[in-house]
Amino acid sequence: MILCASFEGLSQQKEDRLISGPGSTLTETKCKICHELQHIRRAPLSRGEWADNLKNMKERGTPMTDAEMAVILDYLATYYNREKPAPEPSPDTLATASADPIEKLLGAHACAACHALDKRVVGPSFREVAAKYAGDAGAAERLAGKIRAGGLGAWGSVPMPPNAGLSDADAKTLAGWVLQQK
Amino acid sequence: MKNESRRQFMTVAASAGALASLPLKAFAQTEPPGTISGDVIKGEKAKSMQWHSERPLTGSVPAHEHDFDATPNDRMFVRNNLTTPAIDINTHRLTIKGLVDKELSFSTFDLAKEFRTVSMQGMLECAGSGRSTYRPAASGTPWLETGGMGCPVWGGVRLADLLKAAGLKPGAAHIAGQGGDPGMVPTAAPVIRSIPMAKAMNEATLVAWAMNGEPLPWVHGYPLRLVVPGWVGSASTKWLHTLSVLDAPFKGTYMDSSYRVPRTPIEPGTKMPPDAVSAEAWPVKSIITSPAPNAHVKSGPILVRGRAWVGEGAVERVEISSDEGKTWQRAQLAPASPLHPYAWRTFTYEHRPQRPGYVSFLARAWDDRGNSQPAVPYWNPLGYFWNGWHRVGVVVDA
Repeated sequence: MILCASFEGLSQQKEDRLISGPGSTLTETKCKICHELQHIRRAPLSRGEWADNLKNMKERGTPMTDAEMAVILDYLATYYNREKPAPEPSPDTLATASADPIEKLLGAHACAACHALDKRVVGPSFREVAAKYAGDAGAAERLAGKIRAGGLGAWGSVPMPPNAGLSDADAKTLAGWVLQQK
Repeated sequence: MKNESRRQFMTVAASAGALASLPLKAFAQTEPPGTISGDVIKGEKAKSMQWHSERPLTGSVPAHEHDFDATPNDRMFVRNNLTTPAIDINTHRLTIKGLVDKELSFSTFDLAKEFRTVSMQGMLECAGSGRSTYRPAASGTPWLETGGMGCPVWGGVRLADLLKAAGLKPGAAHIAGQGGDPGMVPTAAPVIRSIPMAKAMNEATLVAWAMNGEPLPWVHGYPLRLVVPGWVGSASTKWLHTLSVLDAPFKGTYMDSSYRVPRTPIEPGTKMPPDAVSAEAWPVKSIITSPAPNAHVKSGPILVRGRAWVGEGAVERVEISSDEGKTWQRAQLAPASPLHPYAWRTFTYEHRPQRPGYVSFLARAWDDRGNSQPAVPYWNPLGYFWNGWHRVGVVVDA
C-alpha cells in the first residue's frame, strides 16, 4: 500500500505540468515540443518579458499562430507573472469551450497544437494517419493505444507526448474519428 | 573503406603532435534516428555532472569538481539549443562561402592534411553560466552559480588559415558558423551565430576536431566545431558544416533576440532595451575549486585553489578574502602561457586559521584593464555574464 502511494507520488512528480487555467493545455503542448516546462515554472516574468520571450520562441521555430500566441501570452502573464501572485488553478475553459464532443476532446488534449486535418503541423495530419491505417482491421484499438501512450518514430523525430489523462473510452472515440478523416 | 579512413585520420592526427592517437568514433545507437540520445551523452560524462534540463540536455559540474588545470572531457559542460546529431566523419564536409575569392569545401581529413594543426587550451563558457544566481530570476537554462564553463585543450586548425586560403573579398566583416544540429520540429530555426573578422582572424580561434587529444565527443560537436575562446559558448558553433563570410553581423534569432545584453545597466526586472548589444567576450571571473563547500578540514594551513580567466586581455591578479570582503589578500597566480592566452589560470592561497570553526573564502579576480569581479553583477533580462564573487565556506575541525 505504502509502496503504491510513493510510486504514485513519483510518477506525479515526473509529470511536467503547468498550473491549470485558461490556455494551460495549449501552452504546455507548444512549449514541451522543444523544452521542459520547468523553464517556465522557475522564472516568472513580467508580461512585457513574456511577450519578448514568445516572439523569440516563434522566431526559433515554434509552430504557433498569432491567435495561439495571444492565448499563451495571456496565460503566462496571468499564471507566471513575477509582479503578481497566480490565481487559484481552474479548469482550462478555453480548451473545452466547444459543444461538439470531438472538438471538446481535441481541445482538452491540445491535439491541434501538433495536428491539423489536412496538413502537417508538428505531427502528421489526421488524414495521413487515416490513410496509413486504411484497411487495417485492428486500427481503432492500436491507434487508441498510441493516442494514450504517445510514441516516437512512426512519423519523424518529434515524440508525441502521452495523454495519460485521457480515458479509454475517449481515446477510442478520438481514434474512431481520426480514422474517418479520409 | 572505413579502415582506410581510420588509418588516414590516425596518420594526420599523429602529425599534429599533441593529438597523438585519435580513434575514429564508432557509430552510436541513436534515438530519434540521426541523433544521439541523452542517455548516450550522459554515459560519457562524470557522475558529478548536475543535469538541470533533460530537453534540451544541459548540465555541468560544480566548482569543486573543476579542480583541474585543463577540463577533462567528461566534465565539460553540456548545452545545446537543439538536439545532438550523429554525424559520419567520412561524409561530413565543411564549406566556406560568401565573400570569398573561391568557395572551398573540406573533409576533416583534408583540414588536418592541408593546414597547420595547432593545439590550444582555451576557455569556453555559456553566456548564461551562473544564471540562476540572478534576482529576480532571469529566463533560460538554470545554470547554477558555478555551472557552464570549462577549459580543455583543443586541437584543430586556425580559422584564419582557412579564410586566407579562401581569400577574403573587400567588405568581409563577419563570419557565421552553422552546425548540423536538427531541431525538434522541421520549422526550427538553424542555430547560426557570427563573429567579427578580428576575432575570426585571431590565432586562437580554431576549427577543431580534438578535445584533450581525443576526437570531439558527440555532444561537443563531433566531428568539427568552431572554438572561439573567451567568448560566449554559442559563438563556438558545434557540428560545424558551413562558414559564411558576410559584410555585417548575421541576421537571425540567435543574433537578434538571444545572446544580447543591455549597453548600460538597467533596472532589474525590466525589458531588454532596444539598443542592446551582442554578447561577446566574458568579463573577468574566478571560481574556488578547492576546498569543496562545507568541507571539514584539519587544523593547520588551508590551501585555497581556484581558476581565473577573462574573455579578452589577461588576468592581472586574484585576491582572496577570509573575512567576507572586509580585507583582501593576494593569491599566487600561475604565469600566463603565451601559447594559450585564453586558458584559465590556477591560483593558490594559503590561509592559516586562527581558531577551529567556520571560515569562508571569497575570490575576486582583476584583469589588466582595471576591471574586477563585482560582488553582484548588474542584472540583465537574459541572465548573462554572471561573474560575482565566488564564496566557499569550510569547517576547521578542532
